[in-house]
Amino acid sequence: MLLQGWEAFFFYGLAITVLFMAVFTVSAKNAVHSALFLISTLIGLAGLFLLLRAEFVAGAQILVYVGGILVLFLFVLMLVNIRDDNQNPFNRQDKIAFVVSGLLLGAIMFSVYHTQQSGFFKSKPTDERAVIESAKPGPNTGMISTDTENVGKTLYTKAVLPFEVASVLLLVAVIGSVLLARDKKQEETYD
Amino acid sequence: MPLELLVEWTIKLLIGFVILMTTVAYLSLFERRMLGFMQMRQGPNRVGPFGLLQPVADGLKFIFKEDITPLAADKFLYVMAPALSLVPALMTFVLIPIGGEMKIPFIDRPIALHVTSVNVGVLAILAMTGMGVYGIVMAGYASNNKYSLMGGLRSSAQLVSYELAMSMSIVGVLLQAGSLDLVKIVANQGGWGGMQWHVFWFQPLGFIIFLISMVAETNRAPFDLPEAESELVAGFHTEYSSMKFAMFFIAEYANMVTASAMATVLFLGGWQGPGVAQLPLLGPFYFVAKMLFFLFLYIWLRASLPRLRYDQLMDFGWKFLLPLALINIVISATVAVVLL
Repeated sequence: MLLQGWEAFFFYGLAITVLFMAVFTVSAKNAVHSALFLISTLIGLAGLFLLLRAEFVAGAQILVYVGGILVLFLFVLMLVNIRDDNQNPFNRQDKIAFVVSGLLLGAIMFSVYHTQQSGFFKSKPTDERAVIESAKPGPNTGMISTDTENVGKTLYTKAVLPFEVASVLLLVAVIGSVLLARDKKQEETYD
Repeated sequence: MPLELLVEWTIKLLIGFVILMTTVAYLSLFERRMLGFMQMRQGPNRVGPFGLLQPVADGLKFIFKEDITPLAADKFLYVMAPALSLVPALMTFVLIPIGGEMKIPFIDRPIALHVTSVNVGVLAILAMTGMGVYGIVMAGYASNNKYSLMGGLRSSAQLVSYELAMSMSIVGVLLQAGSLDLVKIVANQGGWGGMQWHVFWFQPLGFIIFLISMVAETNRAPFDLPEAESELVAGFHTEYSSMKFAMFFIAEYANMVTASAMATVLFLGGWQGPGVAQLPLLGPFYFVAKMLFFLFLYIWLRASLPRLRYDQLMDFGWKFLLPLALINIVISATVAVVLL
C-alpha cells in the first residue's frame, strides 16, 4: 500500500526528521544537546504514532518519555554540568555498539519482512482491505477512534503476562531506588 | 478536508488566541490590583481609568526594552527557550470546551464551542503541559548563569514530581467519566442540579490534590521555587530581557488560565449551570465565572502564603500528595465498580 496525499507528506517529513535527530543524538558533542536531540526524536515518533491512529500511544509516549524521563536526563546532565564541548562522542566500546545495533537492525528488518513471525504466535494473514475499511472513520463516528479502549482491553487480555512482568520490574526498581537513597542515619534507625 | 471545516477551525483558533491573550494581559493587572488591596495599598491605578490601560503600557515597554544576549550563552538554545515555553502554553487551550453546542445565525448546523475535540483530550493536555518544562530547563541551562541553572534544576525536579500527583488525581475523574474526552467529561457532570459535579460526587480528594499540584505545576506561589527572588535573583529568567522575558511571562499566565480551565472542566462541571439546556449562550459565562474563581485563588494564595523550602516541597509532593492520589484511585475504582 503506497502512502498518498497528506499522509505521505507527514510520514516522510516525520520519518526523515526522526532519522536525522537520532543521528544527531549520538554525534552531538555536548551532552545536553544530545538529550535535546533525543527529545526531538521521541516527539517525532509520537507524531508517527498519531499517523497510525494510535492517539493513546502517542500521548503516553510524550507524557512518559518527553514529559518525565527525559526531564530527569536533563536534570542529571545539568547537575553534573558538563561544559566541555570537545568530548569524543565515540568511546572505546564503539565496535561492540556497532555489532549490537547491527544485530538489532537485522532483527527489526527480519520481522518487518516476515510479519507473520513478528508476534509470539503465528497470526493469520490479515485481509488488508478489511483493515483499511475498519480504520476509516465512518459517517457517524467522525474523527473519533477507539484506540484507548483497544489499548486497555489488549493490555488486560492478550498482553497480560508482559504487563505483569513489567509491573514487577518497576516495583523492583522502585524498591531498589529507595534502598539506594537511604542515608547512613536512616539505615541505623531502621536497623 | 472540507473548506467549511477549515474556515471554522481558523476562526475558532483566532478567537481563542485573542481571548487567551486578553485574559493573560488583564490577569496581570487583576493580580497586581488584588495584591494591592490585600496588602492595604493601591496597586497600578494611573494608566487609564482604574489602571485599565496598564497591560498595554507594559506590553509597549517590553517591546522597547533592549534585548540582551549574554556572551557566554548557548545562543541557539537561549533563543529557543522562550518559544518552547510559550508554544505549549498556547497550544493546550484549543482542547478546552468553553461551552456546549449552540446555534449561530446564518449557519445551519450547531457549532461546538471548542476548537477541536480529540478522544485522548486529557492525555493530550497533560502531554503538552509536560513539554512546557523544557522552555524553563533550557533557559536555565543556556543562560550560563548559576542562578538560572539552579532555577532550571529546581523547576525540572518540581514539575516531574507534581506532574505525577496531578496525573494520578485526574485518573479518578477518568474512571468516573469513562472517557479521556473533555467534552464527555463535562457531559458526565450535568445531572442532579449541580450535585453531580465531580468535586461533590466522589472526587473531593482528587480535586484537592489537583488544586495543589496545579499551583505547583504552574510555578506559582507558594511553590514558585524556580524563580525565588529572595535566593535566585529571578531564577531561570534572570538573563532574559525585553520580549523574551515577556514570552516567559505570557507562558506562565497562559498556563495559569489553562490550569484553571482544566480544573473547571474536570471537577466543577465545565460550562454546566442552571438554564444552560434552554439557553446554551449561558455556558461560556458559567465557564468563565468558574475559571475566574480559580484565578482569584491563585492570587489569594500568592498574597497569603510564604514560599516553601525546597526539601519541604519535595517531601510534600512525594511523601504526601502522591500516596494520597494513589489512595484516591483505589477509592474511585471501588466506588466506580460498586455504583456505576
